This record gives sequence, C-alpha cells and structure tokens, in this order.
Amino acid sequence: MLANDTLDAQQAGHLRHFENLSLQAPNDWSLMKGRGHGQDDFGGYRFQLAYMAYALAITHVHRLPAAPGVFKPVFERLIAKLLLPETWLYWRDVSRGGSIFNAHLQDRYREEWDPVARDNIMYSAYVQSLALLYHVLFDDDRHARPGALTFEHWSYFWGGDGHRFAYDQHSLNEHLYWKMVESGYLGIACEPNCIFQICNQPAILGFRMHDLLTGGDRASEVTRSYEQAWAQFGRLGDNGHYHVMLSQDTHAVRPNAARAPWVDAWCGALMNMWNGDFVRAHYPRQLAELLSRDADGSLSVRSAPRPPVNGHAVLNDDSDFGWVAAWASEMGDGETLRGLLRHADRHMAPRWRDGGLYYPRNDVAENAGGHRSLVEPMTGNVLLGYARLNVRDGLRGIYAGPWQAGHFDEPAIVEAGPGVDVLQARFDRASGVLSLTLHARFDRQRADAWVVVGRMPRQRRWTLFFDEAQVAHGEGGTLTAVGPARLDAVDAGLRVRWSGPRMQAMRMRFEGTPPEPAR
Amino acid sequence: MNPDATWPVELAIELTDHSGDRVDLAALVRGNNDPAAGCSLVLFGFTHCKVVCPRALARHAGVLDRLADAGMPVRGLYISVDPQRDSPEAMRRFLEPWPAFTGLTGSIAAIDRVKASFRVFARRAEDPDDPGGYRVPHTAIAYLLAPDGRCLAHFADALGADEVVARLRALLVAHGSVDARAPGAHRA
Repeated sequence: MLANDTLDAQQAGHLRHFENLSLQAPNDWSLMKGRGHGQDDFGGYRFQLAYMAYALAITHVHRLPAAPGVFKPVFERLIAKLLLPETWLYWRDVSRGGSIFNAHLQDRYREEWDPVARDNIMYSAYVQSLALLYHVLFDDDRHARPGALTFEHWSYFWGGDGHRFAYDQHSLNEHLYWKMVESGYLGIACEPNCIFQICNQPAILGFRMHDLLTGGDRASEVTRSYEQAWAQFGRLGDNGHYHVMLSQDTHAVRPNAARAPWVDAWCGALMNMWNGDFVRAHYPRQLAELLSRDADGSLSVRSAPRPPVNGHAVLNDDSDFGWVAAWASEMGDGETLRGLLRHADRHMAPRWRDGGLYYPRNDVAENAGGHRSLVEPMTGNVLLGYARLNVRDGLRGIYAGPWQAGHFDEPAIVEAGPGVDVLQARFDRASGVLSLTLHARFDRQRADAWVVVGRMPRQRRWTLFFDEAQVAHGEGGTLTAVGPARLDAVDAGLRVRWSGPRMQAMRMRFEGTPPEPAR
Repeated sequence: MNPDATWPVELAIELTDHSGDRVDLAALVRGNNDPAAGCSLVLFGFTHCKVVCPRALARHAGVLDRLADAGMPVRGLYISVDPQRDSPEAMRRFLEPWPAFTGLTGSIAAIDRVKASFRVFARRAEDPDDPGGYRVPHTAIAYLLAPDGRCLAHFADALGADEVVARLRALLVAHGSVDARAPGAHRA
C-alpha cells in the first residue's frame, strides 16, 4: 500500500466540509464570513474558494487519483461561486485606490468594474488558475468556450443595464500574461500600486497549466524573467523574511519587518511550485522565528500585531496559523505539521457538521489557558484541511504535471452517491487492479450506497471483490453478480450499489494486457 | 489547440527611421504596400544599452541572415524606448553592426503609443554608471508581425537562435509568407 493511499477520518471530513460549503445555495456564505467587511481582506470568499479547490486538486492527484467523480462536481461549484458578483464586487471600490499608503495616487485611479481588467491579481489569478487546473485535472474544456468565464452584475434597483465582462480560460490567461509582460515581469498588482509576491504565484500556476494544455512554455519564460526582474530587490529582506510587496510607482520594497507569518508561509507554500530549492533553503530559519512551542508539546504560531492606522483597527483575517500549517505540509515537515494540528485539535474546537470537519471561527486570540484560539474562516474552513490533505511537494507536483500518459483511460470512480466518502481510489496499471475503500456516511448501521466506475476497458474481463470475496464479474456488455453487490450498466459506466458495512473495501481486477498509454 | 493566437497591433504611428526619414509604422510593416512584402521582426531597446540589446540584436540578426539565406526574408525593426537620447543618427551608428535592422525613434508621445501597442514595459531607472545618468530597463521580447499588422508570435529573450529560427520558419510557412517547398525552407 502506498503511503498516501487511504484517507483517515479527519481528511475525509475536511473533504466533506469543502463539499458542504460548495453545496450552499448561491450567496449563502454561512461559516465563511470573516471579521473584515467588503471582501477586501485576506479572508475573502475568493481565497477560501480557491484554496479549497487547490486542496481538492492536491488530494485528487496525490491521494485519490482514481476518483475524479468525487472532486469534479465540487470543483465546478467552487468555480461557479468564484464568479458570483459577491466575490468580486469589492473591486469596483478597491480599484479607485485611496489606501493611506497610496494616497498620492488617488487621482490616477478610477472605478473599474471588470474584476480582471487591471490589477486585482488577488482575484483574477484564481479564476485563471482554477479554470485551467480544472481542464488539466478532469480533461474537460468547458471553460475554454467563449464567455465561459463571464463576470456579470445587474441590479433591479441601480446601475442601469448592468455590467458584463466575458472571458474564457485562454483569453484570461493571455490577458494576465501580457499584464505580466507590461509590468516588466515584476508581477501584476493586487490593490492599485501594490505588487505582492504571493498573489502572482497562482497566476504562474495558471500559466503552467496552460502550457500543459497547449504545449507552450509561458511558465518557464515568466518565472525566468520574474527572477531577473526581482533580482534587483531580492526576495528576502535583511531579516531573512520574504518581502511583502513592491510599490509599482516607486519600486520601493515593503519588507516584512514585523515577521508576519502569513507573508512567509503563504509565499513559501506557493513559490515552492517552481522555486523549491530557494524556498527550502530558507524555510527552517524563517519557520523557527514564527513558531512557539506549547507546554503540552503542540506548536503554535506567533502572529505579528497589526498596529492601528490613523486610529483605525485593521481588520484582516491574516490566517497566520493556517498558512504556516499549509506551508509545513508543502515542505513535508511532518513534525511541525503534527504539532500545529495537535494544537488545533486541542484548542481550536474542531467541529463535525453534516459529515464535514472544520474549525469554527473564533475571534478570541487566546483561550483562558493562554493558548492561541483565534480561528479565521480561511484557517478553519480551508487551510487546516489543506494542510492535512497535502503531501510533501503536493502543489509542486501539480505544477510539474499531475498525470502520467494514459491517466484518462484508466478505470476510475466517475460518480459517487450522496453520503459516500471515498477513502481510497487508485488504479495500478501494472496489475490491472482498481483499489477502492468507500465509507457510507449515513447515520445507521447498514449502508446503502453507490458509486459509478467509468472508463472501463471494453474488451477486458473484470472481477469485482468486496474485501476478499468475489461479488461480480463481467466482460464487454455482460455482467454477472454473484454476491451482495447490485450492478447496473449506466451511461457513465458501471453503477455499483451495496448494502453492508459502513466501510467497504473493493477491488476490481482487469485481466489481460493493458494497451500502451497514448502520448 | 494553441490559443497563443494572433492579435492586431495598433501601428498607425509616425516615427523616424535611422536615416532621418519620417515613416508610418503601419506602412513600413506593410512593406509600403508591396504585395510581396514579408513579415517583420520587431525588437525594442535603447542605444545606451551595454549588454542586453547588443546581445539580442546580434542573435536576431543572425536569425534573419539564416532565414534570408533560406529564401525567407524577414524585415528587422528596432524601436527605441529612449527617444530622448536616441536620435536617428545615434540609432544609425548603433545599428551599423547589424544592417538587417532598421532603427526607429520618435517623439516621446509616439514611442509611448508604440509601447502600449506592443504591451512593452520600459521604465527609466537612474544609473550613475551610465554617462547619461540613467538606463531604460525594458521588455526583451521579439515580435513577429505579418504585413497586415497582426502579431503572429513573440519570442522571449531566453530563446536561443536555433529555436527562434525553427519557430519562425514554421510560422512563416504556416502564414504563407514563404512556400514550404522552397529549396531553403527546411534548412534555415
């Protein structure tokens, strides 16, 4: 059995929570609302949606490669939510500038409705990278169709005929690429005049996914040029921590003087995709300055205080704890990750809801015992799950190319019934065995659940086992059930129903020599 | 599918070539309406550049020579991003080693328009080591333009000459600028 082969209950719970959030009705953002308002901080819905999708991608590729049917519909719903006006309308206001550190530029900026036209890479890169990642992961080009990524807003009460901006994954990718070129490869700004290192990494992931689809080499061009462009500033400040951002007009770098954990952790977790040696070289020392050790052996994160600005408290869901956990997971730093998750489980009130696991929002910085208890929705809904599901170099592996040739010809779960958690789904080409472990989540002793196995090779005889017992076999258009399973041929493949234990191991063995994978 | 599709570049901009003649960039790219006009390879740079521009010009001049030898002529255009210092005479002297390129300069406003059309980054940066006190870091991309002004492709600075030749050859054949059966079309 492979190391990443089977999800544990907590991992499955995080996946279920992602699915639960994706299933909420449009504009039902229950459990996702953070302390900030107006969606202009780091806890915005766009970040939660995007990193849930990245977590799905990591889990699908590294843990459950033969279960596209588990991930694809959730991914689709997350992208659909990302396109809802509620996630991007903030840009109409933020595009006007006016931040205190850009006050001198206020006259230069105007209201911009199109959320991807200029700046705002903190949104546009997620739309771009998710659409392209979806295509790569599921071999589905739906977002390549003209207008597939359309940002539309109309109100009965104001705004005239409304606004509509139509893109697709290719036109958006082209647009962002050229914005990157125009910037001299320093990167595209988030808020006006603010180029964050962090927020350009998802765009690079998108460029890479586009290259995988088209045979291009934009990602290598961009990363090479990006390195050259940033060489004059360095990536790190004098204190060894990643620079926060660069002012577009003055080219003044804002160092991470306060050692804010989110800056290092978020940047490191993403930049590892293409700049792993650099990230790993600095990780231990950076991390050491951000962690604190609890008396009970668990680990916590020291947040940097955000001082008031002009008398205003800065409300921002920095999500330090969650980002450090995500970073540790990408680094494969199991000891740190276990220490942080132990802290989360002890002091951050994990909760199960409809089969999903999350850590509910808590605005209190420390509990009565002096332990960090602050949980932002980004941490509690997304990042701790992301960290628990990730593997060493998980995102980096996706960047390199998630699938081997022939992946989309291999048998896999293409649909899963409601309430079925897929804990294991892997096809071994050499042995011709599809190994599944399924968990029916219904609140009763006996389960009645189903999955559809699709992409089955037509001319190969197959045998289905529940645990070690043969329950069915078939070949071509025939199938014979000899055990407790019920099987039906459906358009997408073979529907397998079972009533029995809540946990069911299955193996589907295909006989004969598989064809050489297409390249 | 490679959606790195062609895109139109706004070229109706008046510039001055390195001989001091006023030229319309669109007309120049069209080959002054010569129906046999070929494509153009457009680079941006500045004459005070010590390393990147000479290196790029040398590489691309070699590329254009190889294509010409193969019966696939492509016009070389080198557009200044430093119009304050790059007079036509300065451009002429700078480009003497690479006669395949025609230098183009113009007013600051005209150059700004060209930069915007090609989505070129160029920004004045103070440099006490430069005799003029500044340099102009800029996008080092080569653009392949069809006579009708469409950008057929662009090439990053990191690409080697052989790769650029191979890509250009394929693009020129695909575009119909040259006959794929031409004797030299496969050995440029």
